[in-house]
Amino acid sequence: MAILVNNLDALSIIPTIALILTTIGIYQFFAYLQNKTQLIWLNPMLLSITAIIPLLLSFELPFKQYFQSTQLLNNLLEPAVVALGFPLYQHLNSIKHQWKVLGLLLVLAVILVIVISFALTMLFISIPEIAVSLALKSITTPIGIALTQQLNGDTSITAIAIILAGLFGALLGPSWLSFINVKSAKAQGLAIGAASHALGTATISKISYEHGAYGSLSLIICAVITALISPFLINNLTILFL
Amino acid sequence: MVKNAFYSTCVIAGCLGIGKFLAAYLGGLPASLYGMLIFTSVLHFQLVNSSKIATTVSWIIQHMGVCFVPAGVGIINHYQLIKDHGFALVTIIFISTFLLLSFVGITYQHLVLNKNNSTR
Repeated sequence: MAILVNNLDALSIIPTIALILTTIGIYQFFAYLQNKTQLIWLNPMLLSITAIIPLLLSFELPFKQYFQSTQLLNNLLEPAVVALGFPLYQHLNSIKHQWKVLGLLLVLAVILVIVISFALTMLFISIPEIAVSLALKSITTPIGIALTQQLNGDTSITAIAIILAGLFGALLGPSWLSFINVKSAKAQGLAIGAASHALGTATISKISYEHGAYGSLSLIICAVITALISPFLINNLTILFL
Repeated sequence: MVKNAFYSTCVIAGCLGIGKFLAAYLGGLPASLYGMLIFTSVLHFQLVNSSKIATTVSWIIQHMGVCFVPAGVGIINHYQLIKDHGFALVTIIFISTFLLLSFVGITYQHLVLNKNNSTR
């Protein structure tokens, strides 16, 4: 038995490589598919997750083991967040003239969405971890997951909630905003960047250059604001609701 | 090309390293977010060459989605939660997303853009 266990340890590098390559392969396939079809709802992250779950179930591989094996991918989260400093740097100049207005508006927006999402989740589901996850769902995935880990939320719920928030805004955002008479490209870009992060922004970038510029400006500023105020805000909300 | 990728990797790793140091001693933000703000600062103050970094960073941003797949697969452990509260979860995400869209859109369009136009 002991020999068998040792052999398994020595062999564990092979399933690790296999699982990482499978994950990357599946993701690349769906990314290619979306690129070809240009369909928003064919989201490669969401489709990869829904493809990998039945795979794990059919091979009876526990999630813990899958997650440990693919730890390398999860570790790349940190450098990915650092890389987002580049778009922030690119936008510093464009907000120079209106940073007070934009800053104030987006701080209010972030407080609004965190409080509402947290309160609704506590009222209807009353699980604090899930409330933290949903409160952080409007920002870009790497920062949302980093903050979820720090504030003891559930990263898998955050990941899925972020994709859904992105899809809602990408699919319905422009027509909803036009319907409520918000028709300027700047306002639409800002709103979709704030509510539906990179997913929404990538979609509206096709409408006009201004949509894309204001969308990416908004998504990066909202992520920074959320990072700065959510630890304080969520700790207080947790005390309030417990 | 390879040189630039190496240069970018070193800069990002350096920023992350400082971020880890700050997070350990100051707390408050996760290390990666300190790293991001430092990366922005070194670019802004031209301590590093931004033209050498641009290509690598856009490659990273374009492909980073795959890194979040393992975290998302964790939903597999929440079968009961989805069964009990799946509808409520999706509804809360839907409502809060549309509230946020409307708040930012309406406020910016009517209070900022229209006000500027009328004073001109």
